[in-house]
Amino acid sequence: MVDQNSNYALQTSEVYVHYGKKMAINNVALNFPKNEVTSLIGPSGCGKSTFLRCLNRMNDVIDICNVKGKFLLNGNVDIYSPDIQVETLREKVGMVFQKPNPFPKTIYDNVAYGPKIHGIASSQNELDEIVKDSLHRAGLYEEVKDRMDDIATGLSGGQQQRLCIARAIAIRPEIILMDEPCSALDPIATAKIEDLINELKENYTIIIVTHSMSQASRVSSKTAFFHLGNLVEYGETGKIFTKPDKEQTNDYITGRFG
Amino acid sequence: METAHTDKNFEQKLNHLTDNLIKMSNIVEKQIEIAVNVIKSKDSSDAQTTQNLDEQVDEVERDVRDLSFEIMTLHRPVASDLRLVFTALKVSKELERMGDHSRNLAKRAISISSSFDEDLTDQMHNLGKGVQKMVNQTLESFFKKDEVQARISWNQDAEIDRQYKSLLSDLIERMHNKETSVVDEGTKPILIAKSLERIGDHATNIAEEVIFNITGHYIDLKKSDFE
Repeated sequence: MVDQNSNYALQTSEVYVHYGKKMAINNVALNFPKNEVTSLIGPSGCGKSTFLRCLNRMNDVIDICNVKGKFLLNGNVDIYSPDIQVETLREKVGMVFQKPNPFPKTIYDNVAYGPKIHGIASSQNELDEIVKDSLHRAGLYEEVKDRMDDIATGLSGGQQQRLCIARAIAIRPEIILMDEPCSALDPIATAKIEDLINELKENYTIIIVTHSMSQASRVSSKTAFFHLGNLVEYGETGKIFTKPDKEQTNDYITGRFG
Repeated sequence: METAHTDKNFEQKLNHLTDNLIKMSNIVEKQIEIAVNVIKSKDSSDAQTTQNLDEQVDEVERDVRDLSFEIMTLHRPVASDLRLVFTALKVSKELERMGDHSRNLAKRAISISSSFDEDLTDQMHNLGKGVQKMVNQTLESFFKKDEVQARISWNQDAEIDRQYKSLLSDLIERMHNKETSVVDEGTKPILIAKSLERIGDHATNIAEEVIFNITGHYIDLKKSDFE
């Protein structure tokens, strides 16, 4: 149930999602505490990515996708209200995708693009500062400061993903959604992103979809386990990975078929 | 019924870990049985057998430890698998201590004179039989994942402790009365009784691990009735 408690960055309840006649999410209620990392885990097709995409209305572009439910940002903003512009919502709720997807532009322009179109910077100096600050926060600045005019697609996969995080941060969101952000990265690049997630949570609320159990246990304080569109179990990550309440959760995280 | 693991290699190692614990339990149960019989028989070759079996126990304990490290390093177990590995490490340590006590008590039993008081010998033997039964039931509860049985076994320790205290006061009283056959043996019967009582305590610890392994929670039980 949604309450007015503003300790949550985002509260959801009675969420149903259908793709045509097929149910993808079945009556899910899940709240996301501010400045914490919440992992959404579950087998492929369980609905975790669909649910994540509801949180910044990414599903709006899919014609057959029908989303119902309550989604409250900061306890009072209904993100599916007709009064809410999707662009405005995505200023508050940024997203990082599975595959790094920098624009075929310079490193600088990749980060500057969002603040420009959202009118966040009032001067070139301010824009420069936002770009620098975002790259700093994404742990990338030192590696790219001397080649800001290079094309971003020339960066390594890990650097590209951190650039995408910098791009997401540049529009000053409150929440960052991450859809398997490390699945295309090697262990070192993954470790850097995970370190970054740990630092970012001081300023942002992070919701991450991951197939890696060890990543969920390393980076998140809360974990939600989805199966067949249902939220099976939600709780403290430490508890979920040591003594989950549901047998289905135990079977999944220990690698057994349920 | 437990569902199958998707990682067969991991599953094999977990099964191997359980097999090692079964092997270790069988040896320790045998050790205890022999040691308890030696209290009456004073058969020195049986006492030597408990010593030989102890070496086997130590070896399996090392295997359990190494395999547990391997599983933790290579497979990063979580939830019920993680609890099994932790339980295996702790149970194997308890079993190893039980083996040591059995070996020691058998060694002491053969050094006691055959003219030692029959009633006290019977009391020690009965205490040993009670401990042996408790150990068997506790280990059975572990392998059958039977929480109810583990709790029953845990509760049996109070009776073991009662028998131990009774035997102890009998021994002390007879020493006070300067009964030669008792005084001559000094602390040996007391140490035998203590070893048996300690084996009971280790079985209690195993029962607690069994409950943790099944439920994920340690039981909050107090031994307030025994100091």
